[in-house]
This record gives sequence, C-alpha cells and structure tokens, in this order.
Amino acid sequence: MSHDDHHAVVVPAPGPEFVPHEVAHHFSTPVQEFQSGKLGFWLFLATEILLFGGLFAAYFYFHEVYPETFRVGGQQLDWRLGALNTSVLLLSSWTMAMGVRSAQTSQKSKTLMFLGLTVLGAAIFMVIKFFEYKAKNEHGLIVFSELFRPFIENPDGTGSLAWFQDYHGVMAGVPHGHMFFAIYLTMTAIHGLHVVIGAGLIIWIMFGTAKGRFHAGYFMPVDLVGLYWHLVDLIWIFLFPLLYLVP
Amino acid sequence: MTTNTPAVATATPETQAPRETYLNCSSGFMSWAGTLDHKRIGIMYLVGVGIAFLAGGLFALLVRLHLWEPEGLLFSNLDYNQVFTLHGAFMVFLFVIPAIPGSIGNMVLPLMVGAKDVALPRLNLLSFYLWLTGAILATLAIVLGGFDTGWTFYAPYSLYTDKAVVTIGLAVFVLGFSSIFTGLNFIVTVHKLRAPGMTWFRMPLMVWALYSTSILQVLATPVLGITVLLVAFERLYHIGIFDPRLGGDPVLFEHFFWFYSHPAVYIMVLPAFGIISELVSVHSRKPLFGYKLIAFSSLAIAIISFLVWGHHMFTSGQSTYAMFAFSFLTFFVAIPTAIKEFSWVATVWKGSVALNSPMLYALAFLIIFAIGGLTGVILGTLNVNLHLHDTYFVVAHFHYVMMGSISLAFFAGLHHWWPKMFGKMYSETLAKIACLIIFVGFNMTFIPQFIMGSRGMPRRYATYVPEFEPFHQASTIGAIILGCGVALMVFYLLQSLLSGKKAKENQWGGVTLDWHTPTPPPHLNFDHEPKVVHEVYDYSTLDYESMQRDAT
Amino acid sequence: MSDTATATDAHDAHGHGELEMGHIHVSSAAMFFKVLVALLFLTFITVAVSRFDFGSMNMLIAMAIACVKASLVIAFFMHVKWDTAINKIVFLGSFLFLALLFVFTLADLLTRRLDHEMHTIKSPVDKEWVQPKPQADGNH
Repeated sequence: MSHDDHHAVVVPAPGPEFVPHEVAHHFSTPVQEFQSGKLGFWLFLATEILLFGGLFAAYFYFHEVYPETFRVGGQQLDWRLGALNTSVLLLSSWTMAMGVRSAQTSQKSKTLMFLGLTVLGAAIFMVIKFFEYKAKNEHGLIVFSELFRPFIENPDGTGSLAWFQDYHGVMAGVPHGHMFFAIYLTMTAIHGLHVVIGAGLIIWIMFGTAKGRFHAGYFMPVDLVGLYWHLVDLIWIFLFPLLYLVP
Repeated sequence: MTTNTPAVATATPETQAPRETYLNCSSGFMSWAGTLDHKRIGIMYLVGVGIAFLAGGLFALLVRLHLWEPEGLLFSNLDYNQVFTLHGAFMVFLFVIPAIPGSIGNMVLPLMVGAKDVALPRLNLLSFYLWLTGAILATLAIVLGGFDTGWTFYAPYSLYTDKAVVTIGLAVFVLGFSSIFTGLNFIVTVHKLRAPGMTWFRMPLMVWALYSTSILQVLATPVLGITVLLVAFERLYHIGIFDPRLGGDPVLFEHFFWFYSHPAVYIMVLPAFGIISELVSVHSRKPLFGYKLIAFSSLAIAIISFLVWGHHMFTSGQSTYAMFAFSFLTFFVAIPTAIKEFSWVATVWKGSVALNSPMLYALAFLIIFAIGGLTGVILGTLNVNLHLHDTYFVVAHFHYVMMGSISLAFFAGLHHWWPKMFGKMYSETLAKIACLIIFVGFNMTFIPQFIMGSRGMPRRYATYVPEFEPFHQASTIGAIILGCGVALMVFYLLQSLLSGKKAKENQWGGVTLDWHTPTPPPHLNFDHEPKVVHEVYDYSTLDYESMQRDAT
Repeated sequence: MSDTATATDAHDAHGHGELEMGHIHVSSAAMFFKVLVALLFLTFITVAVSRFDFGSMNMLIAMAIACVKASLVIAFFMHVKWDTAINKIVFLGSFLFLALLFVFTLADLLTRRLDHEMHTIKSPVDKEWVQPKPQADGNH
C-alpha cells in the first residue's frame, strides 16, 4: 500500500542496543499512538473488573445466604499460605513496576532482571497454589479426579457431588458445605489462569526487551503488560481476605 | 465479499485507469481475510450478519408456519423449543447486537470523525474473527444436539437439559468479546483520532450513538461472559450457585443475565437511533432539532439502562421492594427516548423532505418505534406486567423494537450508505416497494400478537387454544409477506452490485465527513487530512456539484 | 510534523484537550519501595486483625484495608495518579458500575427477608428443598 510510506513517523532508538520504533500508519504522532493503546487497555481492564465482579457478587450473595458455611469453610484454608502468596504477589507487582520504570529509562538489562523476577514471583505463587489445592484434594474438599463426574441424585430430590467428599466431616454441620469450596475453586482458578497468562505476556515482553524494542521512546507494551499484572495483584488483594480471613 | 471486487473492476470501462478505492486497491483472498482496513472489515461483518439475519429469519418463518394450526403443523413440541431458541439466539447474538456497530458502524465511524482507520485495527479484525468463531460454534451447537433453553439460558432448566448448552455458552462468551472489542475500539477512536476541528459537539449523532453503545458494550458484556461461564461450570462441575438442588438461587442467574441483557437492548437500539438521527437530517435537508439533547439522551439512556434490569424478573421471585425500585426506575428510560422521538419528528417538520428509500425506512422506523417504545412503558408498569408477563404482548413489544425498529433502521442505514460503500445505486423503485411490503408485513405479523398477548396467549408454546387461531394465522401470513419484502430487498441490493447504476459522489447531499471523501472511499479514507471548520449538519456548506457528479 | 519525534517531547498537533501529554511521568524507585513496604505492612495488619473477632465488623474492616491496599496499587504501581483524566474515569468508573450490580442484587436478597416478615410468602432460598437438613448433604 503505497500510501503508508510517506506517513511513517519513526521514534529514534536512544542507543545502539535499541531499535527505532515506527508509529503505525493511522496515527500522526507517537503520543497519539501511546495514548490510544493505553486508553484501549484501560477499557479492557474495566471489562476484567466487571468479569471478576460477577464472581465477587456471587461470593457476597452466598456469604449472606449461608454465613456459617463460609465461616467454617474459610477455616479450612491455610491463612499462612494465603498471606505468603499475597506477599509474593505484592513483591512481584513491585518488581513489575520497577521493570516498567527501567524500560521508561532505557535500562535494558535492569528491565530484563525485573521482568524475570516478576515471572519468578508468578511461578512461586502457582507452586504455593498447587500445594493448597493438593491439601484440599487430600481432605476430600475438592477431589480433583472426580471434578467432572455427574451430580448424584437421590430419590428424595436432594443429591450430592462426586467431587465433594469431606473425608473428615468438617463441613457436616453447615448447609451446602460444597458451596464455599466451589466458589473458592472457581475464583482462584480463574485468578490463577490470569497469573499464567500474565506470566506468559511478561515472557513475551522479555523477548522484545532483549531485542531492544522497548526504550524511553517506546515502551507501551511493557507498560500495558505491567497494568495487567497489577490488576492480577489487585484482584488477589480482595480474594485473600474474603477467602482466607473474613469467613 | 469477493463478489464485490469484480463488480467494481467492470464498472470502469473508460480508458483511464480507475481511481484507487478501498475495494480495488488490492485483491486476492488474503487482502480481505487479513485486512486491517475498517471498511473491508465492515463489509465482511455485513456479509456475516446478513447471513445470520437470513438464517434467523428462516427459523422465524418455521416458527410461524408451525403455529398455523392450534396443534402445530411442523414439529414435535421439543423440536419447536429448539427452533424458537435458534431464532432467538441467532437473531440476538449473531445479528442484532453486532449488526449496526459491526457493519455500518465500522464503515462510517472513522469516516465521520475524519480518521484514517479505527484506533486499533488489529483488534477490529480480531473482533470480526471472534464473531465468526461464535457463529461457527453456534452452528456446531445445532449439530451437537441443539439447544432448547430459549436465548436467555434460564437456570435451572439450562443446567439440566441434555442439549449442547456448553457449546452455545462458549459461542455467546466469544461473541461477547467480539462485541467488547468493537466497542472498545470505537471509544478509543472517538477520543483519540478525531480530525482537527472535530470537537465533541461537531460529531455527527451517529458517532454519539455508537459511542454510548460502546460504553454499554464494554461495561455490561463482561458480566454476560462470566454468567455463561458459570452456567458452563455448573454443567461441568456443579458449582451450585444457580442450582436449587445444591443450595443455589436461580434468581441470581437472572440478576446476572439481565445486568447484561437489559443494557444489551440499548446496545442494539442506540446505533439504530444514531442512523435515524443522520437520516432524518440528511433527507429533510435540515439541521437536527435538539442536537445536544439527542447527544446527551444517548448517554443518559446508556447510564439509566444499568438501573432497570429487574423489570425482566417481576414474576421470578424477587423481593417486592426490588420490584418497586426497578419498575419506578424503568419509567426514566422513557424520558431520553421520547426526547429523541420528538426531536426527529421536529426535524422532519417543515424540512424539505426527500422521500428517498432510506428516508422511507426511517419514517417507518419512527412509526413502529413509537408503538414499540410506548408498549415498553406499559410493560414496565409493575402490576400490568404481572398480567402480561411471558405473553405474546411481550413478544410483540420487543419485536416492534428489535425487528421493527432496529432492523428497519439497519435497512435504512444500509440503503443510505450503500452507494457510499460500493459506489453503486440499487433500484429506488424496487426499494420503495420493498419498504412498503416490509412495513405492511411487519405490522400484520405483530399487531395480532399484541391482541393475543393481552388475552393471555403465553409465549414459547408449541400449541394453543383454538380461539387464537385467526390471530395466529394472520400473524403467519404477515410473516410471509415480511419475508417476501426482505427477499426482494436482498435481490435488488445484490443486483445493484452486478448491474447497478453508478452512484453519485454525494448521493443524498450529506454534509458530514463521510460524504466529504470520494465515493467509494480510498484505502486511507481521505485524500487530504480533513479539517473541520463548520458546525455539523450545516447544509449551507453543501457542495451541490458533488451531488451531480458520478462516483469514480 | 518532522520525520522524527519522541514520546517525551512531542505535543499533539491536533489540539484536542485530552491528547496533550507533556511528558511521561517516571516515578522514583524510592517511592515504589515505600509503596511496597506499605502494602506488606497492611497485609500484616489485615492478618493480625483477623485473629480477633469483631462480629459483623470483620468484613467491613477487612474490606477497608483491602481498599486501601488496592488504592495504593492503582494510584502508584498503575500510575493512575499521573494518568490522563479519561483513563482515570474509565478505570474508576468501572468500579462504579460494578457497585450497581452489587447494590441491586444484594438489595433484592436482603429485602426478601422483609417480604418474608410481612407476608406469608416465603423466598425460594428459605424453602426446605433448597436448604435441606445438614445430614442430607455431603456424601460419606
């Protein structure tokens, strides 16, 4: 397309280890490009807030209906692991912020280091999460091997779930003991999926950083992935007290 | 989509090379499938939603034919459930929601604000492919056993039925993100890519309407996404939050569902308002009456629509207090809506009205939407609603809005911008005849349904008592007439691509930026970067010469 | 417009108000570190507080601390404090719309009890078949 060429605006590279950035053809200035990308990403984050918001609404709804279930259920979670994981995510949010800052100031190796530390944080988070799930599996509160089995219907209209065995009967005294663990599993699994996606995005950004694409003149992708990672942290900030502490 | 290219290529038999337009600047399958040009994506959307509309219409005709006799003509009761579900799901998710923003919006919004493209062209293409994925998944769901839940997926039935609910749920999730990305793109485009001089109050009202729609798409659709995901999780591992057997509450599902699906009504109708605003002004050759009122009423509708979803749940076991609040708040939507209707009528009044075919469709809209809107106020009244809930009165009401208003506005917009899109004119005579047939057929289909509904005919039933037979038969005949009108429209529109006359450079005499570019527009929309120095709808600036000159 | 421009010095040539971004704000590393310390401290506080039972205030206290933590992340880590007005509106506005979902849904749930007291009509969630006896639940 011949029209594109004479419109190209190029942001020069700040040093030999960086590559210049060419502004997309339909933007007049790099500022316009940056702000468009950023506004678009904020809108995307707004959709994420509302998507998780539905889950939080369900949490509050049933916390209100079955307060005892949530109180006893919350006691089955290990708040030490939850607090540890919270700290890990907060630290990784800090490394991410520092990573963005390094990209803004054209410090390539520091950017790579901070982004790498953030991925490490994501990995530690998922490992701890794995051990938490494993404990739930051992107590029969979420039997993962039975997760997708059909609902067992009783003749009297009630029924039971294959994945909720409750070997030690800890939830026997409260109505619908599975409810807390179903919501716990759904919220943490969707959050965990975001952690994994976030880590993948950071690794992708690290490749770009290594090639010298991101510098003071153009760091939008690092900035946007950073925002995504902070959102993941933000959601956990609310999940932690709701699931581990308050009930 | 590829049929358009030869049509343009053969249209220029002159010796000089044809002017480069977005249609002929490149060719081949990949130049369309991988295009980042908002105009080509708009055309692909147009083809897609057009096919979805025809499929949904076919299901509608099957439903109407089945109801010819009280005992039903064509299907078993269970199959009937699937057919009306298919009609609803295809029409709502594949046609009405994406139709105007995806096709006409994509085509004209960047032109109207004077941009070279939408702000995020790759996301725009992704939005189309998500739509396509959703359409394929929906079709796949039919093959995998169909779905019979109604387009609303109400729990607990959607949790227990043995049909392909997870597949169609996934389709709706994907379609939701297609819609979100379109809306997101439009918001960024309007904020960041307006041409110099294009202030907020110089934007055409179509842009205001699409902007308001986009706010709804971005903020409401994610909740639908999580709702269908939760339904899928219920079916996969029984979370239990919607399942009364497990201590869940189906009313919570309805809250979640209508938190999206009520604003979704305005996702559907606001773009239609935008089209009508443009058309009544252009074809009356008069600035819009109450420009700012219409602009702000779009925003007001967008906000208020988030406060009224409970009026879909008056018989679902909500608390009485919630019902009071929702019924009361519902009436507020009528205010900005009426402002629009009155402003349009005031615009037409004493204008120099040209009864071109787009204007005819727009005038039909004004009549039908008045009925559709006012019956909505009736249904929003709590005590009346308890009587009319889930009857054909509701069916007739929302078809007056969705089919009568939104689809007619879509047709109006299609006729209005068709010459701009393709540089070809359809037969005005056939267009006027088709408009008349559609108007008559539509009213004949749904007026009997208002009467039946007020007498207690419940919706979604495969059979009915013999007393309703004449009404049902009138409705079915109306539907067939409507179908013929649509078929005629499809015929002359396609014919115009093959053998239509060249359109004029400015076919209707519009003064917004979309009529300031060559017809059809070049790949980058404008030959020179536009500078806006006039107020919008200032017809003193109209270049009459461009109305005589043929499109290139 | 020259051929080259940098994001730090370019002013938008179009002259729309919200496009004017003089420079990009780069926060100091010390500030980020202070925010991190504050966040970890608040995590400690929220855990410590949860060891005591304040009854119905538990939720309120925990959510208040979480909101403070969230505000720190949003304002400093996410740079919202220095972002454009429209970006602030978009992100913070989304919480407002989320609040609508919470308020109306929970208002329905909570006022169903008033219904229950005023009339003999019971809310579906109170019925026996929804809330079976504890021993009927769970599979041993």
